[in-house]
Amino acid sequence: MSLRRFAFVAAAALCPISAFAAVAIGTAAPDFSLTDSKGKTETLSQYKGKTVVLEWNNPGCPFVQKHYSSGNIPKQQADATKDGVVWLTINSGAAGKQGHLDGAGAQAFIAQYHAAPSAYLFDADGKVGRLYGARTTPHMYVIDAGGTLRYMGGIDSIASTDKEDLAKATQYVPQALAELKAGKPVSVATSEPYGCSVKYGS
Amino acid sequence: MCKPFVVFPVVLPVMQIFSAAFVLFAAVSVAHAAPVASEHIEVELVSENSALVPGQTAHLGLRLKHEPGWHTYWTNPGDSGLPTKLSWTLPRGFSAGEIAWPAPTRFKVDDLYNFGYTGEVVLPVALAVPANATTGSNVALAVEAKWLVCHEVCVPGKAQLKLDVPVATKALADPRYGLAFAQARLSTPLATLPARARIAGEHVTVTLATPGLSFVPDDALAAQKQIVASTPPRITRQGETLIVDFAKSEYFTGEPAGFDLVLTSRAANEPVWQGRAVFSNKNAVNSPAPR
Repeated sequence: MSLRRFAFVAAAALCPISAFAAVAIGTAAPDFSLTDSKGKTETLSQYKGKTVVLEWNNPGCPFVQKHYSSGNIPKQQADATKDGVVWLTINSGAAGKQGHLDGAGAQAFIAQYHAAPSAYLFDADGKVGRLYGARTTPHMYVIDAGGTLRYMGGIDSIASTDKEDLAKATQYVPQALAELKAGKPVSVATSEPYGCSVKYGS
Repeated sequence: MCKPFVVFPVVLPVMQIFSAAFVLFAAVSVAHAAPVASEHIEVELVSENSALVPGQTAHLGLRLKHEPGWHTYWTNPGDSGLPTKLSWTLPRGFSAGEIAWPAPTRFKVDDLYNFGYTGEVVLPVALAVPANATTGSNVALAVEAKWLVCHEVCVPGKAQLKLDVPVATKALADPRYGLAFAQARLSTPLATLPARARIAGEHVTVTLATPGLSFVPDDALAAQKQIVASTPPRITRQGETLIVDFAKSEYFTGEPAGFDLVLTSRAANEPVWQGRAVFSNKNAVNSPAPR
């Protein structure tokens, strides 16, 4: 085993600080424009005045599949959008990588799981994913009506691919949305996301 | 062949006949289970010795044989992934400990760091054998193993693994797994070094007293999440003190009492060390922690 351990040690001196500290809670969520599955351009700033959820997605990832096939994310999407929240699902998978979709593929994915995002956006060059520091699928962000980032992190509190864990897990996005709606502080504003790595291109 | 069976009364349940037959062969049999082939990995429950001795601690292992290029994860998987999990079903009186995690390999996938294993590895688990275990009997051990095996993409897997091991007054090493257990033991930390951790800005700096330490480790990995980032730390030595400078985890939510770190060297014959880092503004310790 020792022989395998030497790899990447050389990187130590070059990057001692995490590469993901891209956005911060309580600060303005950076604006972006992406094309959705219907060919329409969606811009974050066009939703100023509304609460926005960003969800990083890769339909081939078993963690994403857990939350879709169980109905967990589709239900969160339906509940949120019914309440006037804008839910943007973003796919930063590069061409040729797992989970990369085209418009028809995304529409089929949404239909398959009866998903209800406001839009499914493509970020194949990974610019928006890297801007937000999205590292896993799923990876969730909640932005309030004033454009301030109020939650970033995992979909829930139990890192697993097992649907049986859902009942025991705290679902952080509905919790943050309910707290924002009630004018309360977001009790869990950051959590460590879990899932597959985002399949960025090089 | 099956001739001995005719002496049993026909009313004897089939299961009893089988277990009776097992006892007959126990003297020459060894622990037996079959590896389970799953996607990109082969998993098997194995025993270091061919028998269990009443009142002693035995060592079992989850043997993982990864397809080339694929890996599973350490107790702290790093930026993504999941640790391998075991849940045991054991006869009354037997109890299994936690996985004695061998030091993992650091992987970099795009911008993420992960900690885990490739190739063939045994994850050892201590099994307490009760003093009243019946010599000559066979013990049925069962475990549900769950893992996530990844290359660039990941596939979750699980298997119900079984192992029958005879109970005997003496146990011999099973030659099939001796090397794998020895390797696991070599890469399991030998001793725990006392250490102090301090938070300064975006850094978590660990100071270890290392009297007599013959080498400067190349890498240090935290066994717990959400304290330090998964990026490689900067390691320097000042006399008999080792300073490990980690970036603070961006998911750091509050100061824990401490955390465990594993110090590894790329040199093949160097032992693995571990430290228990206690945050110095909480329960500071200066003296060596007991083993």
